[in-house]
Amino acid sequence: MVNLLIEFLSNTGFALAGYQNIVMILVGMVLIYLGIAKGYEPLLLIPIGFGILMGNIPVIRDFGLGIYEKGSFLNYMYYGVMHGIYPPLIFLGVGALTDFSTMLARPSLMLLGAAAQVGIFATFLGALALGFAPNEAASIGIIGGADGPTAIFLTAVLAPRLIGPIAIAAYSYMALVPVIQPPIMRLLTTRKERLIRMEESREVSKKEKLIFPIVGFLLCCFIAPGALPLLGMLFFGNLLKESIVAERLARAARSSIIDTVTILLGIAVGASTQGDVFLTSKSIGIFILGASAFAVATASGVIFAKFMNLFLRQKINPLIGAAGVSAVPNSARVVQIVGQKEDPSNFLLMHAMAPNISGVIGSAIAAGILWSFLGG
Amino acid sequence: MYGLDAISAHNGWQLAALGISIVFTGLIILSLAISQIHKVLELWDRRYTYYQRIRKLVQRKHRSEATVSDPVLPKNVKESARQFKLLIEQMGEPFPLPKLLDFSKKCGLLHSHSSINDLLQAKLIIPDGKGYFFWNHEVEKNIKVSMKERSKI
Repeated sequence: MVNLLIEFLSNTGFALAGYQNIVMILVGMVLIYLGIAKGYEPLLLIPIGFGILMGNIPVIRDFGLGIYEKGSFLNYMYYGVMHGIYPPLIFLGVGALTDFSTMLARPSLMLLGAAAQVGIFATFLGALALGFAPNEAASIGIIGGADGPTAIFLTAVLAPRLIGPIAIAAYSYMALVPVIQPPIMRLLTTRKERLIRMEESREVSKKEKLIFPIVGFLLCCFIAPGALPLLGMLFFGNLLKESIVAERLARAARSSIIDTVTILLGIAVGASTQGDVFLTSKSIGIFILGASAFAVATASGVIFAKFMNLFLRQKINPLIGAAGVSAVPNSARVVQIVGQKEDPSNFLLMHAMAPNISGVIGSAIAAGILWSFLGG
Repeated sequence: MYGLDAISAHNGWQLAALGISIVFTGLIILSLAISQIHKVLELWDRRYTYYQRIRKLVQRKHRSEATVSDPVLPKNVKESARQFKLLIEQMGEPFPLPKLLDFSKKCGLLHSHSSINDLLQAKLIIPDGKGYFFWNHEVEKNIKVSMKERSKI
């Protein structure tokens, strides 16, 4: 009887827990706090935070409970992460949610989305310089795309062992966009520039919106076939939305499918951060590089907008360059907030959506390129 | 290996430069393509207007090609040309030959078949290449001019 009790107690979490588990449980709690109390990306941070709690309950090895044990419940959920199933499904929902009209009305703003991808490649170089292998460096660099699903998708194929820290870094920084971006935006622009008013966009016809997903998909995927799973689903989702006749499918994609996949992805990614796997010097490097990736991406977008102004008759507000990082629609909202602090009657949100959406396309293309360079 | 050596050893500079260039190229091409979509759609929406314009241009070309210098027509053909011109004006151009034939019979013109044949040979009625015909005003003018010149002589 006593032996049984001792055996039971030795198998409890209290007996098995190491300091790493405790640290990670605290991290999970912080994420849940940020999501609920601060409202930073709650739909992502709450599942990830709770996933961290689930992944850091110490369990007996070979008992079929841990996320890395084949056949366990968590392992089945993790399958979708490791095989790049969840990110394209999230892109399907994003496509069904997104209105591309602002981008179609002013395609030149797409260049800002391209400029922000400089952050990815600059961080790739930084990670190489810090001693990361090229495939790991590429996965870290993609954090600068500010696109969680893309980061997970690329890391799953290039450096699966780093999925946990990279996903947590990507989603944490996406949630912290309102904190990270404004100081950089203010630092790189003058008050006069922040006051620039954008000219009103032309109206986009229904036919244009309908043709765009097909043209966009074909062009992007012919240029970077590696982006096929992500961009294919993104443009397909958008086609469902714009076709109207498939409204039922579009509704499913933008509600039940994306919600379900977000839960599965969040829990699986969170649970993959077991203390012994996550708390390494590499993770710290990833977090530092991730932050710099975000900063460089934001700065390159703003600087490129100022560069474009040298040639444009009708100037653009350089703040919208910061929306080139693809945290949709968070970074566009940040642009609106920063712009309105200078002039409350200046509405930049719709203009910022153009580089914001093109940033999604740009980061998916960048992921496809890095995969084709380093995936062989 | 760390620092710049690590970057160079892994071809980092080339990969980064090529990568960002491809991203820019891709998005530039996409932006150029989507900036043309509304123009292409506008062309498509106005396709019938453009088609009519092109058709008129082609007709003018045919007419000028069909100009015959100094044609000589028998007297009876001149008369039937005058009558058929009036009929064609009523029918509108371009017109199908069977309709002209039918119309001329209804109006009581004699020898419609042979008259239309004469007008075709004189190139007063010419095809538009699509199964329809129209009245050749250029030839008609030439006929009038040559008649005036002859009367002066």
